[in-house]
Amino acid sequence: MFEIHDLHKHFGSLHVLKGITCSIAKGQVVVIIGPSGSGKSTFLRCLNLLEKPTGGTIYVDGVNITDPKTDIRKVRENVGMVFQRFNLFPHMTALENVAFAPLRVLHLSKEEARERALDLLVKVGLGDKADSYPDQLSGGQQQRVAIARALAMRPKAMLFDEPTSALDPEMIGEVLEVMKALAEEGMTMVVVTHEMGFAREVGDVVLFMDDGLIVEQAPPEIMFNCPSHDRTKAFLSKIL
Amino acid sequence: MTFRWDILFRSLPYLWEGAQMTIRLTTTSVGAGFIIGTLLGMARICQYRPLRTLAAIYIDFIRGTPLLVQIFLVYMGLPQLLSFPMPRLTAAFLALSLNSGAYVAEIVRAGIQSVDPGQTEAALSLGCSNAQVMRYVILPQAFKRIIPPLGNEFIAMLKDSSLVSVIALEELVRRANIVITRTYRPFEIWLGVAFMYLIMTIAISRLVAYMERKLNIDV
Repeated sequence: MFEIHDLHKHFGSLHVLKGITCSIAKGQVVVIIGPSGSGKSTFLRCLNLLEKPTGGTIYVDGVNITDPKTDIRKVRENVGMVFQRFNLFPHMTALENVAFAPLRVLHLSKEEARERALDLLVKVGLGDKADSYPDQLSGGQQQRVAIARALAMRPKAMLFDEPTSALDPEMIGEVLEVMKALAEEGMTMVVVTHEMGFAREVGDVVLFMDDGLIVEQAPPEIMFNCPSHDRTKAFLSKIL
Repeated sequence: MTFRWDILFRSLPYLWEGAQMTIRLTTTSVGAGFIIGTLLGMARICQYRPLRTLAAIYIDFIRGTPLLVQIFLVYMGLPQLLSFPMPRLTAAFLALSLNSGAYVAEIVRAGIQSVDPGQTEAALSLGCSNAQVMRYVILPQAFKRIIPPLGNEFIAMLKDSSLVSVIALEELVRRANIVITRTYRPFEIWLGVAFMYLIMTIAISRLVAYMERKLNIDV
């Protein structure tokens, strides 16, 4: 699904990604962990070109998205993204948020878009909140609407950028449940998170990033029980 | 010292016609200025550099020169340049719109930039084009926030529209001058005119406050 080769990203003189190479298969759930400032989010945001890489190549489903000739909008239609701060559209109801992209990007009819949005809201457990505005919803509910909004494009893969970091502790579970259900359906997922329980339970592969590089990648049981790099050990000892 | 308020009261219908002209001129000018300003404001922050520079030059020119000079430039300068007659009303409308556009541009730019960049990212990640992001996500949120400063611009323009009296357009101030040359009662008339402006500006700020409540603006 994703083939990343020697990916670099500079912000001015700051070298944030220093040559990342990895591949993510269809249906895989990849969890990215690492200290803050290690480039996890930047890496994730390169996968749908919200950040423009300064070097290297990224193939998404066989399409080279780092080629300037590629229509990145077509790629983004197939790669959903969920943000730390939800980023719901505050002037639209939950239903309108979810129906927005099917209506405007896919040009479905109003009824079709509405139906699709309602199904997804039911799926994330918010069928009764369709007419609520984002500021009338709790953080956990907002994030679930945001997941439904991304799913409304029927993407082939989903990117999660610290989806539970802005949530009160008691709301983290409801969001992780939705993500877990999604993983069980076979969705390809790339998740930047600090939720090690989720990584352990749902992740197929865990990537440990530090200082702009992937230091180690392994299945969760190996990563968490016998990491091979000292930096991984040091990081895990601090958070587990 | 005796005041002749009766002269003011007798002149009121005549002055009211002038005030109507002031209202019409201000409303249409701010309306046109809103369209010009929205386009300019978007040009100010677009990705295409020459357009950005051009918009910045225009805005700096308008904001850095007196409205009075701009009025003369449009009323007397343009006809010389293009050799066609310029009706007073057209000149006044043109000068005020072009002026208002520059100020509205800065209001619109600030409004657009006040919208969280996360909104743009979310819309882009769904496959929206830049134009769709602007139209469906940024502008609806920005417009809500620019209503209060836009109200201020409307009030400023209503007062500044008195300057077009110098090209003899019969708005409120021009009509007041005409009345005074006939009656020699400047104090009563100017005080009356001041109150007429005051009533109009208060009405506008009330209207803006009402719209703010209606739209539930929380800034």
